[in-house]
This record gives sequence, C-alpha cells and structure tokens, in this order.
Amino acid sequence: MVISVSHLTKYYQVHQKEPGFTGSLKSLFHRKYYDAKAVDDISFTIGEGELVGFIGPNGAGKTTTLKCLTGLLYPTSGRVQVLGYTPFERKHAYLKQISLVMGQKNQLWWDLPAIDSFLLNKEIYQIPTEQYTNTIVELSELLDVQDILQVQVRKLSLGQRMKCELIAALIHRPRILFLDEPTIGLDVMMQQKLREFVRNYNEKYNATVILTSHYMKDVEELCKRVIIIDHGKILYDGALANIVKQYARNKAISVIFEKPVLLEDVKKLGKVVSFEPTKAIISIPRAKSNHVASQLLEHFPVADLNIEEANIEEIIRDVFSKREGLGIKGTQ
Amino acid sequence: MKLYLQVAKNTWDEMTTYRFNFLMWRLRNVLQLLTVYYLWLAVTPQNGHIFGYSRSLILTYILGASLVGSIVFSSRTQEIGENINLGELSQFLVKPLRYLGYWFARDIGDKLFNIIFSLGELTLIYLVLRPAIYLQPHIGEVLLASLAILLAVVMNFFIGTLLGMIAFWSPEVWAPRFIFFTLVSFFAGGLFPLNILPLPVQYVFALLPFGYLQYFPIEIYLGKMSPLAIAQGFGIALLWSVLLYLLVSRVWRKGLKMYSSEGN
Repeated sequence: MVISVSHLTKYYQVHQKEPGFTGSLKSLFHRKYYDAKAVDDISFTIGEGELVGFIGPNGAGKTTTLKCLTGLLYPTSGRVQVLGYTPFERKHAYLKQISLVMGQKNQLWWDLPAIDSFLLNKEIYQIPTEQYTNTIVELSELLDVQDILQVQVRKLSLGQRMKCELIAALIHRPRILFLDEPTIGLDVMMQQKLREFVRNYNEKYNATVILTSHYMKDVEELCKRVIIIDHGKILYDGALANIVKQYARNKAISVIFEKPVLLEDVKKLGKVVSFEPTKAIISIPRAKSNHVASQLLEHFPVADLNIEEANIEEIIRDVFSKREGLGIKGTQ
Repeated sequence: MKLYLQVAKNTWDEMTTYRFNFLMWRLRNVLQLLTVYYLWLAVTPQNGHIFGYSRSLILTYILGASLVGSIVFSSRTQEIGENINLGELSQFLVKPLRYLGYWFARDIGDKLFNIIFSLGELTLIYLVLRPAIYLQPHIGEVLLASLAILLAVVMNFFIGTLLGMIAFWSPEVWAPRFIFFTLVSFFAGGLFPLNILPLPVQYVFALLPFGYLQYFPIEIYLGKMSPLAIAQGFGIALLWSVLLYLLVSRVWRKGLKMYSSEGN
C-alpha cells in the first residue's frame, strides 16, 4: 500500500461575522466560531501504480484530502500514512518522492523562463545533471514545448504554462503525483494532451497518480477507480464502470417515428422524458429496457431507436442531488 | 549550497527583467543621497567641525551610510507576506527545501545587485564632486565594521521575515512594514549620525536594534568608537540577533500550525 488513510477528519475553525460595521465591531470582542467539517471520517487505501480520481462538487473535501496527503494540512484526527511516512512531518525523504500540481497555483517563477525554475528544482531535489538533462529532453518532447522553455513564463499561454508546470513537478520523477484540478481553464485539445501525458507517466514509471477534478472527462479517461466525495464523506469508492451499474437504474430509449404518434400510447411504456409527435425519449428501468424496445418496434412505426446508458456526469449529479434530498447536509 | 546559489542567481536574473523599475529605485536613492549630502555640506563649516565631525568625516559618514544601507536593507522578505497570503507557501512546503534559507539566498541575490549599483553610483558621485573621503588606515577597524555589517544583514533579515510572517495572522502586512521603514529611515542613522541626538534618546536607541543596522558599522569605520563602545555594541547586536532568531523560529512554527489548520 502506498497510501493508507483511516478515519481521517479535518475540521476548520471558521469564525462567523455578522454583516456590516457593527458586525465587525462585535466580532472584535466576541467571536463566534463553528467547526466546518471539511473531511469527515474517511478511510481508503491506494496501491502502487494506481490512478485514482477524486470527484465531488466544490467544497466537497477533495482538496483538503489532498492537502492532508501532501503534508500541507494537519489532520484533526485519524491516521494518514504515505510511503510509510506521516505526511505532515514533512520529512525531506518523503517530500523527495512526491509532487503536487495545483491548477490554480504555479510554482514556476513568473518573470523567468521555465528552464530557470527547472534548474532550481534540479538543485532542490539534488538530481544528477545527466538524469536532469534526459528528463527535460524527454518531457519537453512529449509535451511539445522544446521551443518555449527559454521564454518568460508570464508570456506563455495558460496551456503552455501548465505543461511547464507538469515538467517542473516531474523533474525528480516522483513516485506519487498529486494533481489538483490540473486541467482547469484549458481548452479541450490541451486537456486531452495533458491526460495522455499523465497516463503515459503513470504507465512508464508505475507512479501512483491522485487526481482531483470536476471535469468528469478527466476522470473518465484516466481513472479506473474513483472516489466520490461530498460534504466530507466518501459516497463511493470503486471502479468507475460499477458506478453506472450501481446508480444508473434507468436507461433512456430515444425513438424517432415515421408517422406522428399519440403521447398517451407512449406513456403506457414508461416515463416519458420528452415528447414530440415524431420523437420521444423514454426512461426505462434497466431490466425492462429490452422488453420495452421490442414493444416499441412491434406496435409503433419506428424509424430509429437507440438505447442509451445515462452518462456518468448525470449519474453523479443524481448521486449528489439525492444526498441533498435526503437532508444529509454538511454539518455546521 | 548549490541550491542557494541557484536561488540567488534566479533572483538576480529576475531583477534584470525589471531594469527600468530597478533604475528608478536606484535613482531615488541617489537623489536622496545627494539631498542629504548637500545639506551636511552646507551646514558644516569649511575647516570647522559640526557635532564633533569634520567636514571630511561627516561626508564620509553620509556616503558610507548609503553603501551600508544598500547592503543591509536590500531584501526580498516583503514577498514572504504575499507568499503566505496567496497560499503560494504551499508550493514550498511540499518541497524538500528550507524556506527561510531560500529567502536568505534571495536576499543575497538582491543585495549583490544593489551593492554593484551602489558602488557605481558612489564612484560617479566621488568623481564628480571630489569630496575629501576619510580612509580608515587600520585594517582592524575595517574588519570590525565589516563584521558589524554582517550582523546588520542578519538582523534585518530576521526583522523582515518577522514582518512578513504577520501574514499568518493578518492579511495586512504592509502597515507594520511601513512603520518599520519609517523608524529605520530616521533612527538607523542614514540621514544623520545618531550621536547628535540628546543623550537620553541615545541611551534608549543604544538598546534598540535600529542603530546597529547602519550607524554602528560606519562609526566603527570612522574610528569614532572606543573599544569599550565597540564591544558593548557588538554585545547588544549579537543579543538582538539571537533574540530575533529565536523569535523567528517560534513565530514560524506557530504560523505554520496556523497555516496548516486553515484551508489556505
């Protein structure tokens, strides 16, 4: 096990302030605090070489978890072990084996070319010159950034900068790579390219990669295993493919008719999601989908028919909204 | 060691990218220096003394103060506050790196750049104005003055770091720093030698760190201090350095705990 987390809890003390100036004055003398549970008793383990995606809405606790794993945050309670180290002790021997890339914060020196930041990292991680040169050549070729390494970082586009950030983070070939929203703000092409790169790194070095993102595409394409987290609790931990089985109880059948049909007739088959006289989408329990499809073909003038799995994004939205519906809100 | 060299080098490179900004900053220094220089030139009689300083000594004092100021006060520690406020500190904490060592290396890079310019300016001023500069004949005094500058550099670094680390508790890091700058510009001895102040004030300032940042090294160089006063001065400066160091490491530990319990 590379990472093992048991009963990790992290509370933030948040102080409440009434609005306006009087509120400010009051809070000077008497502050009300409450505990915001960012992460609430979560446990999981991750093995070497795994590529795991953390998904959840804003404020779900993804980043907090990541920060506990990288030693940036001190857990309120629970046990966190990564590579046999306790992260928040921040032993150099541990830090040399990990890397953290935050999509919204950069480590590159803004006013210098990326190569200068790379050189600094070479010294920080004490990398032999030969290995350093090889890594830079290899990574910059893979990401196609050879000709911008000498350009001031501030003059790069967001995509180019993100590529350089990744190189900077990988110079020491970390065994664990933590990626916090790495594709945020990037265009589709660039996202694709970064995903391929991350997968490549994971396969080539058998590195463990932990990824948080709210782009489902990132997770869908990269991670076999996902951990869904919301309001500080783990809702689901397992194979991505199983979410569909577990949560998507319905399939959608979309049909196009040759001639107009009556809504009442279609309604008999299942829940009608949308209807036009020559077009309909019907939601059917998974088990009944084949039966309904054959009914449709038999009794209606069907021109085209499609059975679709609900997409993962929708399923997950469903999972989150159900949770809200049950009234299990975050604790305040 | 190579790491800190690289940090200093990067800092140096960074400064060359803001050449214009930097030149304006130096220009401001030169203008200020000239103002003070002419003021003292005007009030000191040709062959007489003022506050126990001959014309040559007081002008050497003013020019020396400018150089020592460039060495001691050029610093990057003001960025520590931003670093903490913007959460950029995280990037440093996940690396096998000594944060304060990193900033000290940045200070050194910044200082080297400033020293070179300061020396250039002073040479230019010397060539144009040809003041009678006092050259200290004894190597001992020169060495002691250098040592005092070194202590001043360290003290100023610790103070700057402390002012930056206020950011752990409050986003307002500029006000305290500004107050410190104001105090320093007056009481470090850049504008006038501190021994022209009333005696009681002098006693108080002998116990505070300000005078040891600029006034103390120059006075040693000028040979105006008795061995006892020098020893006393070093004692106090050393004590301050140790105190500030202890304070810095304590505040750093506390601040880090603060930082790592909030969601920065």
